[in-house]
Amino acid sequence: MNLCETDGDPMAVRLEIALKPHLFDAEGSELCRKIRDYFGWHVGSARVIRVLMLETTLEPEVLEAIRREIFTNPVSQVSSFRPLASADDFQWAVWVGYRPGVRDTAGSVALEAIADFTGRPLGKEEAAYTSKIYLLRDAPLQRAQVETIARELLANDIIQQWRIYAREEWNAEEGIGLICPKVALRHSPTVERIAIDSDEHLQALSDARNLALNPRDIPVIRRYFLRPDVLQERAQVGLDLPTDVELEAISQARSDHCNHNTFRGRFFYKDLDTGRETLVDNLFKTCIEAPTLAVKAQKDWVVSVLWDNAGAARFDDDHLYVITGETHNSPSTMEAYGGALTGIVGVYRDPMGTGKGSRLIAGLYGYCVGPRDYAGPLRPHLHPKRLLDGVVEGVRDGGNKHGVPTVFGNLFYHPSYLGKCLVFVAALGIMPREIHGEPAEQKRPEPGDIIIMAGGRVGKDGIHGVTASSESYSEHTPAGHVQIGDPYTQKKMHDFLLEARDEGLITFITDNGGGGLSSSVGESAHMAGGAYVELDRVPLKYEGLDVWEIWVSESQERMTVAVRPENLDRFMALAALHEVECTAIGRYEASGKLHLTYRGKTCAYLDLSFFREDFPQWEFHAHWRSPESRGLTEPVMSEPRDYGRLLADLLASPNLCSREWIQRQYDHEVQGTSVVKFLVGRSRDVPNDAAVLRPVLNSRRGLAVTQALHPTYGRIDTYHMVEASIDECVRRLVAVGGVLDEIGGVDNFCWPSIQHDDRKNPDGRYKAAQLVRANWALKDMCLAYGIPLLSGKDSMYVDGHLPGTFGERHKVSGLPTMLFTAVTTVEDILHCLTMDAKMPGDWVYVLGTTHHELGGSEYYEKFGYVGLTVPKADPAGFLNLYRAVEAAVREGLLASCRAVGRGGLAVHGALKALAGNLGMEWDLGAVPVSGDLSPAAVLFSESLGRFLVTVPPDRRAAFEAHFKGYPVGCVGRVMEEPVFVVRDMSGREILREDLEALGSAWRSGALG
Amino acid sequence: MKDVRALVLTGFGLNCDWETAHILEAAGARADRVHLNRLISGATSLRTYHIFVIGGGFSWADDHGAGVILAMRLKHRLRDEILAFVERGGLVMGICNGFQVLVNTGLLPGFEPGRLSRQVALIDNDCGRFRDQWVHCVFEASSPCVFTRGLEAMDLPVRHGEGKFFAEPEVLRRLEENHQVVVRYAFPDGRPAHGAFPENPNGSLHDIAGICDATGRIFGLMPHPEAFHHWTNHPDWTWEKERYRRAGLPFPEQGAGVDLFRNAVDYVRKQGVS
Repeated sequence: MNLCETDGDPMAVRLEIALKPHLFDAEGSELCRKIRDYFGWHVGSARVIRVLMLETTLEPEVLEAIRREIFTNPVSQVSSFRPLASADDFQWAVWVGYRPGVRDTAGSVALEAIADFTGRPLGKEEAAYTSKIYLLRDAPLQRAQVETIARELLANDIIQQWRIYAREEWNAEEGIGLICPKVALRHSPTVERIAIDSDEHLQALSDARNLALNPRDIPVIRRYFLRPDVLQERAQVGLDLPTDVELEAISQARSDHCNHNTFRGRFFYKDLDTGRETLVDNLFKTCIEAPTLAVKAQKDWVVSVLWDNAGAARFDDDHLYVITGETHNSPSTMEAYGGALTGIVGVYRDPMGTGKGSRLIAGLYGYCVGPRDYAGPLRPHLHPKRLLDGVVEGVRDGGNKHGVPTVFGNLFYHPSYLGKCLVFVAALGIMPREIHGEPAEQKRPEPGDIIIMAGGRVGKDGIHGVTASSESYSEHTPAGHVQIGDPYTQKKMHDFLLEARDEGLITFITDNGGGGLSSSVGESAHMAGGAYVELDRVPLKYEGLDVWEIWVSESQERMTVAVRPENLDRFMALAALHEVECTAIGRYEASGKLHLTYRGKTCAYLDLSFFREDFPQWEFHAHWRSPESRGLTEPVMSEPRDYGRLLADLLASPNLCSREWIQRQYDHEVQGTSVVKFLVGRSRDVPNDAAVLRPVLNSRRGLAVTQALHPTYGRIDTYHMVEASIDECVRRLVAVGGVLDEIGGVDNFCWPSIQHDDRKNPDGRYKAAQLVRANWALKDMCLAYGIPLLSGKDSMYVDGHLPGTFGERHKVSGLPTMLFTAVTTVEDILHCLTMDAKMPGDWVYVLGTTHHELGGSEYYEKFGYVGLTVPKADPAGFLNLYRAVEAAVREGLLASCRAVGRGGLAVHGALKALAGNLGMEWDLGAVPVSGDLSPAAVLFSESLGRFLVTVPPDRRAAFEAHFKGYPVGCVGRVMEEPVFVVRDMSGREILREDLEALGSAWRSGALG
Repeated sequence: MKDVRALVLTGFGLNCDWETAHILEAAGARADRVHLNRLISGATSLRTYHIFVIGGGFSWADDHGAGVILAMRLKHRLRDEILAFVERGGLVMGICNGFQVLVNTGLLPGFEPGRLSRQVALIDNDCGRFRDQWVHCVFEASSPCVFTRGLEAMDLPVRHGEGKFFAEPEVLRRLEENHQVVVRYAFPDGRPAHGAFPENPNGSLHDIAGICDATGRIFGLMPHPEAFHHWTNHPDWTWEKERYRRAGLPFPEQGAGVDLFRNAVDYVRKQGVS
């Protein structure tokens, strides 16, 4: 951070804006609440002053006009170019601003507004920076405490800086002074030549430059650059040794993140119990690609899979929907708000860059974090409580400001995520089947097409993000790849690109995400047969970037578009109308080369064939032991006596309690497509099985989407973990009225490192076996249920190295996790059901068989057990029942339907009653079970394949007839009296709880 | 029958334009989604329209006060055209971000038609956060607002972080004397919320959810009527469905939100605004 010269040109001025003193400061009171919540300290009140630091040549009268006309609301605000705060306004003042180079949308918007007001564009030396001053009153705190508030609540030192002022230190004339976090890189761009005399040398260099090259790749890379024909061709363009631009490009292309080397690796799988060995060559090909192609061959609604940014499937005769899912774990672990915001805004570019481009219609989220109340010895960079708040708010601002409804989500707490949190983001889009007579899902850049970079400018942000997310998080991880997404800029680009698409101006489009231009242009060059890019044409946020940085920077809100030369003018005119920056940076050509120049000189000249050269496959040893031989057993415990209190406690447990505080902050209804909301029931706060949208407003056709994850089952066997997640998704979609035969899936794997290392990763072989088994289940379930994988991603290295009490560091590996997202069509939204009990007198049925399957259950977790009897799927058997349920929903036999999942019958029964605000009376003797089950097993077992439904009296006979021969039991009735009553097999009443009590337990759990 | 034309503004972070156009069509208008810069460049003119809707969204990211910068651009580039539009009897509706824009241009409260002055503000929700929830709205029977004629109450969603209606007592008094307070947050039984959270979701003074100008032809509100274009938008519709079925009644079709727009369309038809 450097202070601005106040003498000379432009001048720096500081504008301070605050609410009028007699107005309630909501942001300030929220701050006081969080200080109490996070640290237990009292701060009576707090007020916020917004600071706009300007470097400008504008005359004082103009500045005064800007202050009045733009930045001050005469009704609610006061403002001044002098400090607003006087010493008697506060005990402590904290100023928080961005570090140089961090995205400051409010700052750039301020410049737009000023330029608009003055009617003249601002000079490139003119700048605006926003920051805040927090005034803490009635705040009996020591400086150290205020430091803590600044560091652990108000700011994150990775992206922000702060200053603290005690009342007596305050200079009412100077205030905070003039602070302009200008990026000043006194550096002229260079292109380095890299010596490759030996593998060791190149390896050392890779480590030094954080290229994260795989040792196996290095000989291949050297061989290429030493080939005589290559040397000769390079000589003609003035190159000999590889340049840093070329090696960075190769590093990006070969990174695990872009290339999925892990999933494409060779796994030597060995079952240590039986000694049987299996060679698994390429998990992606065998467990994802093969089953998806097999299913696609049978389902004409599967349109485009396995190659584009998102998968495309038929919504109706005139539209395709597209879907994809991503993770943004490493950045969110370091800067929760910015990381999650960048994550959701980033995944939204995938549908925008699918086919010729689609319109966004929905977003989904999934968060896996450490315990909210963690008080152990490890010190993660951000405490889970703050991390979760930041992540929730990041997705909120990213989704809401993008105008996309955030329709469904998950939150899962587990200590193993202290090392690295998981932030899942998924996106759905829709597009017409054809654009100007061409299939919308197809795209291909032709030689001669102009390469356009659309959207934001390029800065140092995000450099090495890809390679960093291919490493586990340690104190050496470069913070440079933490960014703050800008949904405003991207929403403008979104609207513009759709107009350009509909005018037929786009031949190819993809997003600039991981790897930046090196990925988007690099990959599309293969389709066109070559690409030529002049890197000095790329618009920069500030001078001083090295050439390789321009090529790999991950600065956000950018798309790469191919436009035919004859369409260029129209494309640019449309961009100007929408005020979206677009730049022609090169062209595709049939050269077979990736050719990059900077100021007329070639800085990269690579054969595209080189990227397809068979780099050595990664290899993993995978050693499996059955749960039994790992020593897992069922716990020895008797039946509880107080089932009522037990149920209330379970409802209050972190992973089952209310999520309303999250979903309520998300706009889930924008676009007017909402049919079934995530939260349902009379008090509109109980999570439904799935959300249903109506993306085409004049059609009664719907789109149902849901998600599931079961990391705790993986502690027993990841095969059954994946089984459970997929089976649950299928039931959830059927429960709302989805079509069973049109279910598409998205797999998002988040796994700890599986590369064995005696010291660094002693259980790597076991983790590798867990990954293999998870993929086997994925394949088996997709084939059994006929689910194509429309999209999917893997994020490895979910490990963190956390400081402990004595200066030591501990490796913390996240539980192997797979979030499954499933989507299907709804023939007629009027058939849709929700899970809440509707009317007193309705009959309650359990469909499907309950087994003794408490392994990994919420019930066992509560007592600290893992157990052994993990829920297992019987897809063939289940499917018959699911078809019957699908028909029953369509024929309107049910009043409510719930897929029974985590927590078992008791928890989902209680939620059904809570949602309907109606009581229920159950007789456990009527529950279809296999074997001799205890009441606790019936109540809390998490067996798959089950539904809990309510049936109106007048449809009971039809219902009974419809389900004749299926495992179905009428367990009781819905009643007016708000109480949940359960009798055991002998008819003895074992549970009687007021909904009031159950509800307050479930709702209070969220506040813990 | 007269062709009623509505313009729905787009661009710069505005959203809700698709469903707003959809509900206008459902109410019998012909709706176009038009980018702000097309209006500014003159490529499209308000002259050919009868209803001008500024919908929800985050114009210019709302970073310097919700709706502030869009309001400034409208004032500086389109002031005369908009005033002429209103003068001619055109209808202006601002929803959520659009409401914030109208109060920041000074088109609302518009005590003296033709004079733009900012006298009310929509500031941060008391709860300090963005909220998406359904609220119960009651309409002022004696208000001049043409959009709410004959309407008593309806449920609508609010989706905002800056929706607290604020004005100094003098301005509030004047608004209420003129019956310009059109929409209020209320309990389900219709009693005013009197600031109770979450029935009044943002702490708005006097539970004010929407106001109109003196002529009743300029109307702004925080709740989203366009988000209730079909009965299945309502959170309780699957419950209602069971009640209809058991009473042997047919299902409804449109959502209550359509009524506001139909009022606007009917008004234009009756006035025969050219």
